[in-house]
Amino acid sequence: MVRLITHNLLACHAKGCTTNNFPLQFKDVSIELREAEFNADFLKGLLPRIEWKALVDAARQLGDTSLPLEQPEMVDDEFLKNLHHVLLEMHIEEGAMVCPNCSHVYAISNGIPNMLLSEHEIA
Amino acid sequence: MYTPYLFQFAQVHEEFRIPELLSIAELHSFTVQIPEDIDVTRPFVVLGLESDDHARLLAKRCILIKSICEFYARGKNYDELHATTRTMPSKWARFVEDASFKMNVTAYNHTIPQTRARDVVEDFSYMGMLGRIDLKNPEVTFVCYEEYVDKHGTTRDKHEGDGEFREVFLGRLIEEGTARPLAKTYDVKKRKYFGNTSMDAEISLLMANQTLASPGKVIYDPFVGTGSMAYTTAHFGAFVFGSDIDGRQMRGKEKVPGIIRAAAHYGVDKRIVDLCTFDVTQNPWRCGEMFDAIITDPPYGVRAGAKRLGRKPRPPGSTPRPAVTPPSQPRPDDQPYIPPTKPYELSALATDLILLARYLLKPNGRLVFFLPTVTDEYEEVDVQTMLCEGMEVVANSLQDFGSWGRRLITIRKTTSEKYEPPSFKPTSTSRESPKDSDAPDHVPAHKDFRMKYFKKFNKDEYDT
Repeated sequence: MVRLITHNLLACHAKGCTTNNFPLQFKDVSIELREAEFNADFLKGLLPRIEWKALVDAARQLGDTSLPLEQPEMVDDEFLKNLHHVLLEMHIEEGAMVCPNCSHVYAISNGIPNMLLSEHEIA
Repeated sequence: MYTPYLFQFAQVHEEFRIPELLSIAELHSFTVQIPEDIDVTRPFVVLGLESDDHARLLAKRCILIKSICEFYARGKNYDELHATTRTMPSKWARFVEDASFKMNVTAYNHTIPQTRARDVVEDFSYMGMLGRIDLKNPEVTFVCYEEYVDKHGTTRDKHEGDGEFREVFLGRLIEEGTARPLAKTYDVKKRKYFGNTSMDAEISLLMANQTLASPGKVIYDPFVGTGSMAYTTAHFGAFVFGSDIDGRQMRGKEKVPGIIRAAAHYGVDKRIVDLCTFDVTQNPWRCGEMFDAIITDPPYGVRAGAKRLGRKPRPPGSTPRPAVTPPSQPRPDDQPYIPPTKPYELSALATDLILLARYLLKPNGRLVFFLPTVTDEYEEVDVQTMLCEGMEVVANSLQDFGSWGRRLITIRKTTSEKYEPPSFKPTSTSRESPKDSDAPDHVPAHKDFRMKYFKKFNKDEYDT
């Protein structure tokens, strides 16, 4: 859990942290690879919401270089297969995500990230 | 062109029947013709469909459908029924020559003695079926249903009142409902992980159908709790995100989170995309228009109270709280920081939920959630005033518990305009929701539901 798809959809939301608050940086993470169910409609449906550079950077940081630096305009099967693997099959089980702007540490434990804010961080 | 079909419903959740089948019809892009004078409380209903295939799609997915037949005739008594049936031999003409067949004679609210059931079958001999009778694997099954009024609570002999039915129906079986047994599969009692707020399996399945869950869709539950609706939506092929302010509900006590364990038992864990701990009023979603549906059972304060980050206001006259400072030292790993929470009043939660759904849903996406209501005080306008621009109620079905009940509200996002995320400010209702200006002073009956519940819905006590 904490797949890269989720990582790509979450941003730091602490009070006043509105710029440079995405993507969160991985810290001391342990990764598991687990097979996931392939569904092209699901991938195509979410693709417009994905920040491409953040996804490629996160994947490379975790050692996967199957995605091109530029988002291809043509969506073929080969590309979808790689995208599927990066988005859904790499799970971060332990570690943390750190905001590049305010340095809030969002801990991940047993695959569930704790995105709660402390009292001084809520609006 | 619609032809009439005879629907037999399970005798539960009357108000959910039609919304459910309309949802499944929408999912498969066909329409159902519903008569204006429909009585949804009866177990047998005649509706118009365009083909047998549509009937099969409905019977395979709708939790509340027991069977669907091609409708032949109905009557107050057998004379009426036979008179109508005799006028339409074309309906079964193609089966006369060599189709193997059988006829079921059953009753609702009654047991027909076998001897009379046999006579009933004999009386249809004018249909002139020449094929072989086959009770196991017939090519054609005719069904004859007698509907009796509910005599529940009276003492009577087994066959007392035999033949005194309200109405009798005749049809040809198209498909038995095959989705009903799912309620057993997802039975909470047999689940690997559940909590005291887990949702009943049948209702969870009905909710999943209201979201139009299907393979490849993305569905989000912002109050996921122990995941009851995550399993059923994932069962129908959707990918599910869940979040909750209380991570303990999702995790349980073992290393592998409870929701994942239960989902793995059902074989749907691959479609639980992720679970996150956060307060939905302080949520980290980076963008909107992500989800095809939002499904949730918000906590309404009886078994679990809704919470949001922040502190409760202090009573007047007490010393003010010291200013909040960020912690100077990082906390050790084994002591996670638990931020303070304050109650989240239900009517504010409901309004915020709809605004949030408008932001997070794709156009045409659906929000499906339960709203508890006080039976004596509920008014249609309670639901209307929660709405904001671009969100429209599709269905509103009551599950009645007597003095209170809960309404399953299905809302569709009808707009494709982009909206800002809601502010979740306590005053946001009057500012952001334009419809509120029509009735600025309307207080919905679900406001302060928790307090009303614990005062046993005694108006005198809480109005003063």
